[in-house]
Amino acid sequence: MRLLLAEDEKEMSKAIRAVLEANGYAVDTAFDGVEAVELASQNAYDAMILDIMMPKLDGISALRQIRAGGDVTPVIFLTAKSELDDRVEGLDAGADDYLTKPFALKELLARIRSMTRRRGEYQTGSITLGAVTLKIEEGELSAENAVRLAAKEVRLMEFFMRSPEKEFSTQELFSHVWQDAQDQNKDIVWVYVSYLRSKLRAIDADLEITGEEGGSFALMKK
Amino acid sequence: MSSIYGLNEQALSMARYRLLEMLEQKDRIQFDSTGEHLYDHVVSRIKSDESMREKCRRRGFPETWESALVEMRDALGIRVVCSFIDDIYETRKALSEMEGVRIIEEKDYVGHAKDNGYRSYHLILEIVNPLRPDPKDGPEKLYAEVQVRTIAMDSWAALEHKMKYKKDVRNQEMIVSELKRCADELASCDLSMQTIRDLIRNAK
Repeated sequence: MRLLLAEDEKEMSKAIRAVLEANGYAVDTAFDGVEAVELASQNAYDAMILDIMMPKLDGISALRQIRAGGDVTPVIFLTAKSELDDRVEGLDAGADDYLTKPFALKELLARIRSMTRRRGEYQTGSITLGAVTLKIEEGELSAENAVRLAAKEVRLMEFFMRSPEKEFSTQELFSHVWQDAQDQNKDIVWVYVSYLRSKLRAIDADLEITGEEGGSFALMKK
Repeated sequence: MSSIYGLNEQALSMARYRLLEMLEQKDRIQFDSTGEHLYDHVVSRIKSDESMREKCRRRGFPETWESALVEMRDALGIRVVCSFIDDIYETRKALSEMEGVRIIEEKDYVGHAKDNGYRSYHLILEIVNPLRPDPKDGPEKLYAEVQVRTIAMDSWAALEHKMKYKKDVRNQEMIVSELKRCADELASCDLSMQTIRDLIRNAK
């Protein structure tokens, strides 16, 4: 696993780096916020450790820039200040966790393990129900045959598969799957349910979506 | 050297046009009643003398009209290319209702795609030989191999064919798996279009 460590105090950086490397991590170091943003844009990290107080660009502003570029790598903040406002601002800027200095390196290691573990579970997204498998990242829905789904079809199918045999109203499905689409109306739910139905049939699935236009829908075993 | 088909070339040609004519007639009937065509287009061919001889040799059969017309069943080939998935099954139904034609074998690679992603509906038809030749000169029945598929499946098959017959393609394995992904995406699009067509129809 590869980590980015952004910490301006040389001695501190050296000490953390040594412990991380001793625990099997590859570590890149940055000594100010600008360098951290630059490295984050060039490399794919499994997690990033950012100090809040850094020259040129503070950790919170650096993280805002990193997140603005669409990077969702887990981030843990290190802060010398224990003020509530700083912690809140850091989390709001997109951090996943924080540690207040001074901290035990053992705790830092545990938090990195926890963050990267969670992310691993999230990313290896593949759900199987009956004879049907949905590979979330690839958008592949398969049983006897395979078809590729569009992004919103994957979201809707994933939602159904995570709660099988449960009824969801058109409104519930709409707000879960289309929450980012202000210009859509609820009629889109029926269209996508219809797509999924024909695709479930085409792969000879042992699952079906029950329900009527505008009403409630559930994913049921046949 | 005379043709492997012997005196049966004209019979094959007549059977071909009879089938095409019946398909056109079914399409016309459907269009008149629903305003929508049964299929987009049809292509057909009679296997060339050379390729039929090559195939018989490869399969270990003598180069005679019996081998070409009785053992082999693809001397006459017809491909029906449809706009929508449901039209494939409508076309199958139309073929099953044709006079003097019998479906003797069929494989649904639409419902059960091949591992590489290939999708099409395959049929072998048996047709009464329109010339009714002397049994020593020609068979009583002729066969036709029919493939029914959507436009998307058709262009996919053309691309896959290109790759299969081109030697030393770079990254062959990657191309094969990308083709499979494409086939599944096209299948998904075909299904979405079918669904939209049904939604429009039902809204009328």
